[in-house]
Amino acid sequence: MVEADDARISDETLIGRTAAGDAAAFGRLVRRYQAAVYRFARAAVPTAGDSEEILLETFRAARRSARRHRDEPSALPWLLALAHQAIERRRTDGREGDLASLRELARTAGWGEPARLADAALGTETVGSALAALSPEDREILTLCDREYFTIDEAAQVTGDSEAVARARLHRARLRLTARLREGLHGS
Amino acid sequence: MEAERPLAGLHCGEVLADLTEHLDARLGPERSARIGEHLDGCERCRSLREEIAAAVCALRELPEEPLPPEVAERLWAGLEEALG
Repeated sequence: MVEADDARISDETLIGRTAAGDAAAFGRLVRRYQAAVYRFARAAVPTAGDSEEILLETFRAARRSARRHRDEPSALPWLLALAHQAIERRRTDGREGDLASLRELARTAGWGEPARLADAALGTETVGSALAALSPEDREILTLCDREYFTIDEAAQVTGDSEAVARARLHRARLRLTARLREGLHGS
Repeated sequence: MEAERPLAGLHCGEVLADLTEHLDARLGPERSARIGEHLDGCERCRSLREEIAAAVCALRELPEEPLPPEVAERLWAGLEEALG
């Protein structure tokens, strides 16, 4: 029997079948989200090797815990939460508190100066370099909200933060990205 | 650049704290309208909002990196047992 197109099978169905031991359904889930999980890991850890390990750990954990998540309407927040847990286990230095004042961050992002970015040609390389120069924590929240288009509550679910903390993290990360892009323009 | 002053009943620092929320349309209508009014009259806050919006737009336009085929191969080999 020919199975329906992958896209027509909901995440919920695939998770439910995975929980019931259906290896083909698990394979479909892996195929559907392997690139997104890898991109998330690449943003949050320094090396490609670490990202690959996180990718594998994430899907192994998903296979083990599918039974507890069979009602998830969308698999990606759950999978990225598993990836986040794997990333946190690797962090030996802990997350540093973000003590920079908002006003200081805003000044570095051009508060009080004429806008520069709106009319600038921001190439892939410039943006990629600015993103790479940020901390893993900043890259993580930007990837969730501005690359994967997660809502704040979905992002908070992934990182284990409260929604208020996730909102503040996103705002600060955007200010730091803005500052890096302005620096990049200045340097070019 | 003008000195900080309240506009629409809001100081620049208050607007600064809510710029991302305003940009993402997550504020309530009343707060959003007041911030919009402040932005209309405050060049430095408006200019910062434009800068953040441009940065977010540039980030969202970055091409999605595909999963390298060799990484996919190793992933599937690592999941062989689970995949049956």
